[in-house]
Amino acid sequence: MLWLRNHASFFRGLATSIGAVLTLGVLSVSSARSQQTESSPAPVQRGQKLFGQACAFCHGADATGARGPDLVRSPLVAHDLKGELIGEVIRNGRPDKGMPAMPTTDDQVSDIAAYLHARAKEALESSGVPNTYPVEKLLTGSAEKGKAFFEGAGGCKNCHSPTGDLAGVSRKYPPIELQAHMLYPDSQPVMATVSLPSGEQIKGVVSHFDDFVVSIRISDKTGWYRSFLRKDVKLELKDPLAEHRELLHKLTSADMHNLFAYINSLK
Amino acid sequence: MNSPFARLEKFCLALFIVAAGLCASHASAQGLDPAALLKPATDTWPTYNGDYSGRRFSTLDQINAGNVSLLSLAWVFRTPTHTLKSTPLEVNGILYFSSPDNVWAVDARYGHQIWHYHRASEGDHIGNRGLAMYEDSLFFTTPDAHLICLNAKDGTMRWDVALADDKLGYFATMAPLVVKDHVIAGVSGDVTDIPGFLVSIDPKTGAVQWRWYTQPKPGEPGSETWPKDTDAILHGGGMTWMTGTYDPELNLLYWGTGNPNPVLAGEGRPGDNLYTCTIVALNPDTGKLVWYFQPSPHDVHDWDAVQTPVLFGAEFKGKPRKLLGQASRNGFYFLLDRTNGEHLVTAAFIDQTWSSGIDAKGRPIAKPEATPSPDGALVEPGSDGSTNWMAPSFDPQTNLFYVNARRLFSIYYNTVETKAEGWGGRDRNLWANSTVRALDYRTGKVIWNHELGDGESIAGILTTAGHLLFTADNSGNLLALDPATGNTLWHLNIGARLVASPMTYQLDGRQYLLMPVQDTLYAFALPEKAASSAKNPH
Repeated sequence: MLWLRNHASFFRGLATSIGAVLTLGVLSVSSARSQQTESSPAPVQRGQKLFGQACAFCHGADATGARGPDLVRSPLVAHDLKGELIGEVIRNGRPDKGMPAMPTTDDQVSDIAAYLHARAKEALESSGVPNTYPVEKLLTGSAEKGKAFFEGAGGCKNCHSPTGDLAGVSRKYPPIELQAHMLYPDSQPVMATVSLPSGEQIKGVVSHFDDFVVSIRISDKTGWYRSFLRKDVKLELKDPLAEHRELLHKLTSADMHNLFAYINSLK
Repeated sequence: MNSPFARLEKFCLALFIVAAGLCASHASAQGLDPAALLKPATDTWPTYNGDYSGRRFSTLDQINAGNVSLLSLAWVFRTPTHTLKSTPLEVNGILYFSSPDNVWAVDARYGHQIWHYHRASEGDHIGNRGLAMYEDSLFFTTPDAHLICLNAKDGTMRWDVALADDKLGYFATMAPLVVKDHVIAGVSGDVTDIPGFLVSIDPKTGAVQWRWYTQPKPGEPGSETWPKDTDAILHGGGMTWMTGTYDPELNLLYWGTGNPNPVLAGEGRPGDNLYTCTIVALNPDTGKLVWYFQPSPHDVHDWDAVQTPVLFGAEFKGKPRKLLGQASRNGFYFLLDRTNGEHLVTAAFIDQTWSSGIDAKGRPIAKPEATPSPDGALVEPGSDGSTNWMAPSFDPQTNLFYVNARRLFSIYYNTVETKAEGWGGRDRNLWANSTVRALDYRTGKVIWNHELGDGESIAGILTTAGHLLFTADNSGNLLALDPATGNTLWHLNIGARLVASPMTYQLDGRQYLLMPVQDTLYAFALPEKAASSAKNPH
């Protein structure tokens, strides 16, 4: 569908009728931006209750549709600001589609609109996994098998200890973060040994590294910065995360979830 | 008969013809004849990819492997605070490039601004890839999913049409493509469950010529790849994020389509979900589908197939073929016969953990355990993909296909508890590094590999007849590599990462290399003395 800019209001009129929108070949879709600014919880809760009583039978308890259309994806909801479009439909019904008119107060319309906008916002925010993600969902593996992997095939115990660096690790991060850190921890200093043509060796922590230049913080009392042309020196790097990268390739789904169950048990 | 009105009519008609004639001659002097797009001259870069093939190979060789070490700065143009993801057009000595809401016209020889157009808009400002040109009109898309036509001479607006309703989650980032008397435009979307489409617009009036949706209508061929009796097919995504390619001999338009929606939660849309994550061939005059090939059936990882479908003519199994190659976001290289879509090759171009093999149609088979799950699925690549929108290149001198690729691990979560809407989950990146790879176009086999460092590169690639490949690493270095070996021939620490694709043109006997780096456009050239005596050593 294409319309000239000054026809936008014309479209808005059309959008009040889903039927009209469909004749234009546009499919019903959800709200790009919640038209409401932050909905306070009270109207949303009241709206949810009202929706459950009056609308859920046809539109589904969560407004994703049943006999009637999905309202989370509704263009009309996307264009509605504060219930002015939603209210019109509720009060007039859609007799052609079997939706009865329902007498409602302004406050009730406003609450139902708040609920529908909150539902659309949830869909918009579905591309995030919150830090409050429940640990129960992640705990599908066996801690016992995870422990065996940690001590055996995984090779984890070569660098880590449940009573040493990992003591109480599950209390340090929310579960979803713990899972990510278990697989790949935050970056660690990479150690470099730079051998000069003279034979002199300089050790330090890498601060820059590319094909052409390596720069380090020298591991001595001074801690001064030095940079070298890669072509002039020999370079040896020790990256403590190299084993983690190798493990990413080897881990099966079962290994990963067993290991998480074990790491999560290290309270 | 010869009434005053009739005479007036004739006079007006004559005036109109004179005016039209003036317009036409003016357009050819300063603008771009669409016929010139068929074989662009080396003093122009008239489309997003430089030509219809999407090869991003320039026949210019003044800057070459023998003198690239002398490359120096010709000029710099700054657009403070605007990240440039666009590839500039260059027509008759003028560069045209964009960022979301902005277009600049800049002197291609000296780097001075000619005009700047700004139009504030709502919508997603993730990036703008550039413009298209028809005679003396420029076209670009906006964050609120409009297509704007500007007068190339002064940047004034001629018309502004909405391609889609931004309130529903549509936006636009792509550089349109002019094919004959069509401006082909696509749309973007991300989190909302809306259908993608391509639209053809009349360059003169802004009127719609045709519209092709990336999902068939219920009942049409392809609709059997969606569940019946649900609204899934009406909300299936498939955005047309990037600029396609075109074969004038076959009169076929090639386009890659985006991932299906809901993005990571596929349980409500069982089936292949055509024509999402698909390479399609359309008739540019009618918008009718001619053939298709689907790199990622039933995608649940956000691996769109919008990467440039690169066109080249080359030998395959002893016969010259019209080929189409794509290094796709799912980590696989696909080679097709572009006359009919016949599948020829599927090969992974980088490590991946999600596929267990190739099916009879040449499509990778997904492992069940790679599906996003409530407890997390560890998968390579992550949703950002083994490659992404940055330009690949095909060099007819080396017969190699170049792609900027990534190793990228991610945990994918499906967080849906009721009906999936939007993304329905997310993946969490763990680690990434990047590499430029040269592939044998016949097999997809990696011929050479040049590491770019940790992180996800989004630097595009340009190859030239000067036996050079231009790109950038993840440490702020611009690079010129030997396209035959991947060895570095030139580098410069420019201090920021290239998030666009290089381009080149020659004016007054001097070849310019343009690198848009963040908010700054850098023009490189040989010192004038070196330029005049430049010889390609090969």
